[in-house]
Amino acid sequence: MSFAQLMAWLEGSALGHVMRDNGVWLYGIINLTHILGVATLFGSVVILDLRLLGFWSDAPLAAISRPTTRMATIGFGIAAITGAGLLATKATEYVGNPFLYIKIPVIGLALLNVLLVHRSSAWRAHKNRDLTHQERRRLAAMGGTSLLFWLTSISAGRMIGYW
Amino acid sequence: MRLNTIWLATAISVASAIPAFAHHGWGGNVDEVTALSGVVTEGVKLAGPHGTMKIMTADHMVWDITLAPPPRTQSAGLKQDTIPVGSVVTVHGQRNRDPNRLEMKTIQVEYGGKQYNVYPEFLDKIK
Repeated sequence: MSFAQLMAWLEGSALGHVMRDNGVWLYGIINLTHILGVATLFGSVVILDLRLLGFWSDAPLAAISRPTTRMATIGFGIAAITGAGLLATKATEYVGNPFLYIKIPVIGLALLNVLLVHRSSAWRAHKNRDLTHQERRRLAAMGGTSLLFWLTSISAGRMIGYW
Repeated sequence: MRLNTIWLATAISVASAIPAFAHHGWGGNVDEVTALSGVVTEGVKLAGPHGTMKIMTADHMVWDITLAPPPRTQSAGLKQDTIPVGSVVTVHGQRNRDPNRLEMKTIQVEYGGKQYNVYPEFLDKIK
């Protein structure tokens, strides 16, 4: 299945119909919800990633990591569901949009980075004890990578409508 | 230093939004307002970021007609069932800067002796 076929399928899906057949305000409301999801996601991610990069090192990482990962997960869920709806409205129109082709894979990379962070021994250890210098450096690298990926995907996402 | 780098990256992202094209704003369209007459091949759709419609001109070219955002298009009196497919309409607007893209951003749609002004603030641009 090509990307164009996938977009045609998405546009014709139940989600596409729901998005198109429910009044002139629905798209705007879903767009608003998408922004709130992205804001929740990025607002949480930026605090956690900057902490991993060494900011506010007097605040215990475990105290910051718990609320930020939870809110980032909620924000991502909201953004992903509403984003699928926005795309499904007229999915075929976005075939060939370079910003979408940047955004989707970079979100994939960002999620892969999340997986790597959570699987790392340093991340597991931070909940129970202070981290070694090397463990902190490893998490800092992944935190910086995270910021780069999320900033790139949000920037590309914002630009989709301007192509 | 690291914070500065982040601010710089953010500033670049924001700055790159300034030369904005296509759907948002009029930057992707020529300044001149022209008229386009044709037969409606796909009726007004009030979904997504902008209302849309397709018309076929006398030279058998199918044009994408970009209307205002759905709530604004509707409040201009243009609803999904206002213009039946097959009707003849005249659209006043600004065509896409890319000559190969048959797309017009619309100020006014004329149909059945009525004028639907989706962007009334730009009416003075119509000759």
